[in-house]
Amino acid sequence: MEIQIKELSKYYYTDGKIIKALDNINIKIPGKRICTLLGPSGCGKTTLLRCIVGLEKPDSGEIKIGDEVVWCNKKGINIPTEKRGLAMVFQTYAIWPHMNVYNNIAYPLQIKNFPKEEIYKRVKKILNFVKLDGFEKRLATNISGGQQQRVALARALIAEPKVILFDEPLSNLDAKLREETRKELRNFLSELKITAAYVTHDQIEALALSDVIAVMNSGYIVEVGSPRQIYFNTTHQFVADFIGRANLIKAIVKSQKKDKTIVDSEIGTFICQKRDFPVESKVILCIRPEFIYLKEDNYSGEGNIITGIIENLVFVGETCEGEMSIGNKRLMIKIESESSLKKGDVVNFVVSSDHCLLVSD
Amino acid sequence: MNSSSRNTVILLVIVGFLTVSPVIMLLFGSFSRGLSVSGAFTLDKYIAAYTDPDLGEIINNTVIFVFGSSLLATLLALFLSYLNNRTDITWKFLFRIISITPMMIPHILFSVSWVLLLNPSNGIFNLILKQLFGLKNSLFNIYSLGGMILVEGLLDMPIAYLIIAPAMASFDVNLEESSRVCGANTLQTLIRITLPVLRPAILAAFILCIVRCMASFAVPSVIGMPGRIYVLATHIYRTISIGFAIDYGKAAAIGMSVLVISVILIIIYRYLTAESEKYVTISSRGYRPAVIELKRAKVPLFFVLGLLLFILIVLPVLVLVYTSLVPYSMIPSSRALSMMNLNHWREVLKDPISILSLKNSIFLGIFGATIGIILSIFVAYTIVRIKTRTSGILESLSFLSFSFPGIVIGVGFMWFFVRTPIYATIWALLIGYIATYIPYGIRPLSSAFIQIHKHLEESSRVFGAKPLTTMRRIIVPLLIPGITSGWILMATMFLRELSLSVVLARPGSEVMAVQILRFASDGLWGRLSALGIIMIVISTSLVALVTFIGIKLKP
Ligand SMILES: Nc1ncnc2c1ncn2[C@@H]1O[C@H](COP(=O)(O)OP(=O)(O)OP(=O)(O)O)[C@@H](O)[C@H]1O
Ligand SMILES: [Mg+2]
Repeated sequence: MEIQIKELSKYYYTDGKIIKALDNINIKIPGKRICTLLGPSGCGKTTLLRCIVGLEKPDSGEIKIGDEVVWCNKKGINIPTEKRGLAMVFQTYAIWPHMNVYNNIAYPLQIKNFPKEEIYKRVKKILNFVKLDGFEKRLATNISGGQQQRVALARALIAEPKVILFDEPLSNLDAKLREETRKELRNFLSELKITAAYVTHDQIEALALSDVIAVMNSGYIVEVGSPRQIYFNTTHQFVADFIGRANLIKAIVKSQKKDKTIVDSEIGTFICQKRDFPVESKVILCIRPEFIYLKEDNYSGEGNIITGIIENLVFVGETCEGEMSIGNKRLMIKIESESSLKKGDVVNFVVSSDHCLLVSD
Repeated sequence: MNSSSRNTVILLVIVGFLTVSPVIMLLFGSFSRGLSVSGAFTLDKYIAAYTDPDLGEIINNTVIFVFGSSLLATLLALFLSYLNNRTDITWKFLFRIISITPMMIPHILFSVSWVLLLNPSNGIFNLILKQLFGLKNSLFNIYSLGGMILVEGLLDMPIAYLIIAPAMASFDVNLEESSRVCGANTLQTLIRITLPVLRPAILAAFILCIVRCMASFAVPSVIGMPGRIYVLATHIYRTISIGFAIDYGKAAAIGMSVLVISVILIIIYRYLTAESEKYVTISSRGYRPAVIELKRAKVPLFFVLGLLLFILIVLPVLVLVYTSLVPYSMIPSSRALSMMNLNHWREVLKDPISILSLKNSIFLGIFGATIGIILSIFVAYTIVRIKTRTSGILESLSFLSFSFPGIVIGVGFMWFFVRTPIYATIWALLIGYIATYIPYGIRPLSSAFIQIHKHLEESSRVFGAKPLTTMRRIIVPLLIPGITSGWILMATMFLRELSLSVVLARPGSEVMAVQILRFASDGLWGRLSALGIIMIVISTSLVALVTFIGIKLKP
């Protein structure tokens, strides 16, 4: 079931100031996919999710789930949370401390007055699905964080909702467990084929988990696209900078070729991915450090060649990260960890034109 | 033995002496023949006490009274906490007023004001109703179990509120929200999630109310006794003060079981509060939870809140002022207005015993609270900072005395003092007060010390040796709020102390509450009201003054 959001705004009033938590949001969350809302802290992700589920009242706009309008300011429609038929996994999991695992999971069915045997069967099945067999009698407060997370997931899945919403469900887990759970979650969700809206500020999580990513910044949606589109072909400086890391270099468009754009930048002329900017307009050239390769001696490709002086290099395990300088400009670089380069070396690098992104200034 | 553990032992001896000795006296006294503690061993007192044919009815009354008022107090507190924390009701500062005013209006005066309003012969409200509807008989009779439950429930509501409201405030709203997402409506969520999660806090409040109601003496004596409804507290009182068959041993035998039940309950209470803290998981979302919009229910609920505020604070004061001015009980009217005079006030101010009781109470309030708070500082410091086995015992001891019903412990003290020169002096009262109310001083000071503990360590680690600066800038400012609130709490309690005083006060050491009780049993409502107003004014101005000094002292 898809979720359509039209011109949604939500303001908070604190200390006489207006905070635009959501500023005229338009987005279509596609059905049966995992859609991530990604953005820095405080950009309004949680607020958007809470508006969808009905725990927060927007100030204007419309929310449609499937064919049903659940919120519309103009028509005065406001379906209460409990009637929207959604499911949600909270950041704190919100496992009820006074109930055991079984009752926590069975709750949505108990509320809907399902027969006892039916509830029992379904809970058994879902416990097996989230690998918590035998945990029925445990008090919800006596299980680990990862297990709580799975109880929360099981509770969200049990009533077979059409849409499930996640608010940073992995942020309370430690790094290793987070990675494992992320993979599990991906498997669960693709197996079930339900619509999922997933909030996170962790870009790796977003890239690894989603079919669609919507990048948000201070209350509005910057860009929507597949993980690859967002990573390789973004058209926004904010996105380039927020997803992974990017060197941002001022440049001016010099000429437009058939499938390339040529720019003059602070650090020389670059052949870039095709973008429809008028000649002589100011743009920003984005180059990700991981796409700056060392030039091999026999290199004969058409990539852009940069010559710079290594300023510093830090060994971080898988790679070496550091900076090089070209004139006054410094670029972040990332090279293989076994390299013998050191500070002060003058080195030639290559960047393929496909990895030179142009975004508007 | 180093000096700090020696000091701990000294404190333990003092506090142990204050809390344990009356209990031991009580125990010995209940098994002793004759009037003193050291008589030959006997079980007669217990046999006499527990074969009393009236006892069945008294226990029955006690159970109904205690459960009824605790239930009323807890439900009211629950309702108010929910209203305050979970809804968009306006003027939330009113809740703070509701939770602190019981310190200003003494229980005995509150009870008296209800008698003045609803007694069957000339209660003002009853008179008004009679006139309005042309009734023959009074509609309400405060001298009943129902009346007692109503008044005691209102009196204990703030205590329950002080336990339930913080639990409600630190409750993770996500727990409720996820229930709503699961398809439960507001009511289902309240019943299946909110109340069960708060259960330990609610039960703790309920149990504390039970302990308080069992110890309560004002309501049973002012409202119960005129209606011949006796509960255990008034039964003990009657055994030691009325008629010719005064028998302290029998009173002690009954008191022992009241004491044991109270101690058990207070231990359960302590377990429950620890349990309720376990449940508290503060939401990671830093904002106040989205509150329930009351919509059309707002005005009626606000009206209920206003009514409670009126009943709890305004009404008693109004009734007392009015009664102190009119010559006899009458409906407020222009005639009543024209007959108002200051005769009752003059009589009270001419009455030597009233003046003496006033002086005694002020002395006990100011001097007693000061001594009490100094002792509390040492005890709190030892409990928080010196964590040894002995200091643990100290903590438990000071906590146990929370449960001691004044009238029972008063009998123990009576025996304790009877052979000493301080018997029947104001000093006996002073020691008894401090012993019984020391937990109220230790509480705020321990929490102050817990804060200082952290700050001290951090700052001394960071800045090195500057103990004087640390002292001036950190310890003193942090301790002052604790000292102020502890002092205020103790002083107001001492000023209005009744249940211990009715046992210990003798001619010459009368205190205000005892004098008021005497006026009540003589039916001298006008004088009673005048003295009562004086009492309220004194405690209110003490609270105001000390709060002011506390604010001024903060650097
Ligand atoms: N109840 C509230 N009252 C006032 N301001 C609020 C409230 N809730 C959110 N805000 C503000 O709205 C903005 C968006 O908040 P929101 O919680 O949606 O951020 P977020 O993207 O989920 O951030 P995070 O990643 O830190 O969870 C923030 O600037 C926040 O300060
Ligand atoms: Mg958030």
